[in-house]
Amino acid sequence: MLNCPMKKYVFKRILASLFSLLVVVAVVMLLIYSAIERNVIFQQDDIWNKRSNNDQKMYEYAQYQKYGYLSYIDYGSFLKQKYLEEYGEGYDSQESFATDRKIIQKPKEYLENASVQDFIKTYEAKGYEIKYLEPVVSKSGKVKKGGDAQLLAIQEKSVFYRLWDYFSHFITVETTKDVEDPNLTDRYVRFEKDPYSGLFALVGSGTTHKYLLYFDSSFPFIHQNWMHLNLGTSYTTYRGQEITEVITTPAGKMKAFPQQFPNQLGTGEFTNTAVDFHSRTYNSAATEAEIAQFGDAYTAYSMHKDGLSPIGVSFLIGILATVLAYLIGLPAGILAALFKDRLVDKIGNAYIIFVMACPSLAYIFIVAALGTQIFGLPYKFATAQSLGIAIILPVISMAMRQIGSLMKWVRRYMIDEMNADYVKFARAEGMSEGEIYRTHISRNAMIRIIHGLPWEIIFCLIGAIITERVYGIPGVGQLLTTALTKHDNGVIVAAVVFYTSLSLLSLLLGDLLLIKYDPRISLTSEGGGGR
Amino acid sequence: MNEMKNVPQTSEDLFKFIDSNSISSEKIVAPRYSYWKSVFRVFFRKKTNYFLLGVLALMMLVSFVMPSFWIYDPNENVMNAATFNLSPVKAMKYFNNGAFSFKWCLGTGSLGNSIFYGIIASARTSLLLAFIVAAINMTVGILIGSVWGYVKKLDMILLTIYNIIANVPGLLVLTVLVYVIGQGFWSFIFAMTVTGWLGIAFFFRNQVMIIRDREYSLASRCLGTPVRRIVSKNVLPFMVSVIVTLLATDLPATISSEVFLSYLGLGMSATVPSLGRMIQQGQTAFMTFPWAFWPPVAVAATLTIILYLLGQNLGDASDPRTHM
Repeated sequence: MLNCPMKKYVFKRILASLFSLLVVVAVVMLLIYSAIERNVIFQQDDIWNKRSNNDQKMYEYAQYQKYGYLSYIDYGSFLKQKYLEEYGEGYDSQESFATDRKIIQKPKEYLENASVQDFIKTYEAKGYEIKYLEPVVSKSGKVKKGGDAQLLAIQEKSVFYRLWDYFSHFITVETTKDVEDPNLTDRYVRFEKDPYSGLFALVGSGTTHKYLLYFDSSFPFIHQNWMHLNLGTSYTTYRGQEITEVITTPAGKMKAFPQQFPNQLGTGEFTNTAVDFHSRTYNSAATEAEIAQFGDAYTAYSMHKDGLSPIGVSFLIGILATVLAYLIGLPAGILAALFKDRLVDKIGNAYIIFVMACPSLAYIFIVAALGTQIFGLPYKFATAQSLGIAIILPVISMAMRQIGSLMKWVRRYMIDEMNADYVKFARAEGMSEGEIYRTHISRNAMIRIIHGLPWEIIFCLIGAIITERVYGIPGVGQLLTTALTKHDNGVIVAAVVFYTSLSLLSLLLGDLLLIKYDPRISLTSEGGGGR
Repeated sequence: MNEMKNVPQTSEDLFKFIDSNSISSEKIVAPRYSYWKSVFRVFFRKKTNYFLLGVLALMMLVSFVMPSFWIYDPNENVMNAATFNLSPVKAMKYFNNGAFSFKWCLGTGSLGNSIFYGIIASARTSLLLAFIVAAINMTVGILIGSVWGYVKKLDMILLTIYNIIANVPGLLVLTVLVYVIGQGFWSFIFAMTVTGWLGIAFFFRNQVMIIRDREYSLASRCLGTPVRRIVSKNVLPFMVSVIVTLLATDLPATISSEVFLSYLGLGMSATVPSLGRMIQQGQTAFMTFPWAFWPPVAVAATLTIILYLLGQNLGDASDPRTHM
């Protein structure tokens, strides 16, 4: 196993990877939030289009606040708070409240009002910028639709603040204090027997989710709701939704099957339902009937679906493409090396040059055209009858380049090893060719191929961006390309985080695999470089 | 005693006179070696290179000269719906009474635009883009790479920057950069070169470091040769083959990136004709109107493959070890 300096090296590598991730995300956020006009998100916003004048501007501020560009207080809510503190409940019957509230509609007098002055003074002291939107009046003197005057204090949030905010909420862990309900007194996290899997599960009370760690029969068999990765919110494509939720929520139809509600447990009664009992979250507005049915206030749930989540689709296609590439690329590369400069090698070389030099779109569409015209396979993902048929063409398209690059490297490594001195020596010793290939050449060539495996996966993931677009596959790549055209900055940042962390992880894994399988290499003495 | 008698005793027996002609015949005369002559000799030994060069020359000639005669206007028939999506035969019938014309020999696109003129104008953009980007990336990369390999203080800083950038998938970086910097020919070039030089510089640094520590460089250093001179005289001449091989991947990669980004709708602005956009416009109905889709794909593929092959072959030929 790993020795002590090795552990130190791995630790240092992980730190360096995290640092890389931090810098990349920081630079990307800095670029996106300083160079992209923030109002592009309203281009396709129906609510924004329906509103007019000051009303529209107020909607903009509300959206900017939601997406973290700024925070603001409007005069109305300030006034309410102020009167509530001074007069308690029933403050709105005060005469001065109505006059104070309406004074801002008079652009010439409002600054003389004591409450307005108080508002301005309070928030200017806090570093807010005071903004007064004058009433929009038509020629006849009537206030136009949505033209009421508005007074608000705005504080712009700097990119650095956003960055800090993003990373400080990047990972959240559920605790027993999460539920703000004074009636819930029994708070704990403990292992209990899970009636649905028959095994034990980590169950929480006071946490947002009931089942924090549990097993079930679906891949990857062990699941958790304890820690959450917060990638931010979507701006335009999934208005205001959590991106983590978007990429992990399965699509498709409800999958109902006989299950037992908590109150049916032990009775032998079953209900045909799609409720995912492991997904239960705390519902502070739970009714008596619901509590009776579920046994506690954890009555909110999501459903079992028969489709895959975007991240699931992307991984499925990526892994299948990599497997296919290795199944074809490895033997093809070895064959090309064995028959160097013969016909097989020449055909292989032509193929390698084609996929290396050509824009990937060219061969993706060639695969698409051949597949649909000759084999009658579906072109668009959505039109396919089943997932199995729908992913054939995308998987082949994605494997095309990988096969080429694998062939190139396998061939090169095999030829290098075939001409190495130790092989000549082994031959002189009288070892049979088969033995030499098995014990020397393929072993040594494999070490380098193993090192390249994670890179292959990265290429595959990036290839997925365009493949998913061409075939209309609802994966993470598709999410990114739609976000780019719709100016969904939240999703773009999240996608950058996603792809960068995967890439960093695979590079790290590649180096670790190399150390594990090649005893000659020690990364600790030199302290860098994997090759 | 007998042997003593056979040994010559006088100086006349020991030495003899020879003339100057036989002295020169003793010298070993090497054939004259010219680096560039050898490069081209090896390069043209492969007969396919004549063909590849010919095709590239033709493509460049057509795409750089012809657009000034054949002006491509994508909107010339935009008001006439009868001209939209015409097959080559129908287009020539409609515009030219069925007689052959270059302009309509590949049919029309979704707005009645001439596909053939569009491809020529786009190929020009692609080539121009590839050459400008490669020129900038190469110059900056080589300059910084040479210094990087030599100056130890820079190594830490540049290596950290490189490690951060190289860990992120290149196309992702490019996509975000183009998204942020915005559209247009020069913004696109800027986005392609902001990080593009880094990989080249790193590759170059490694090569420089290998040659820097060779014995003859060490000897130069001992003799007090300035760094600038060692770099330009000892190191750079060995780099020609490295540079050409790098170009062989950089040129097609730039064209491919443009196609990729234009396909995502992020490429150059709509006024600049580009292969990527033509492919993107053609792909929505590539089964029904294949003439608007496959020609730009084929041109992009041909261009990239030819540039790649020529670069590889020239890279091989410029390696002095192949000059035997």
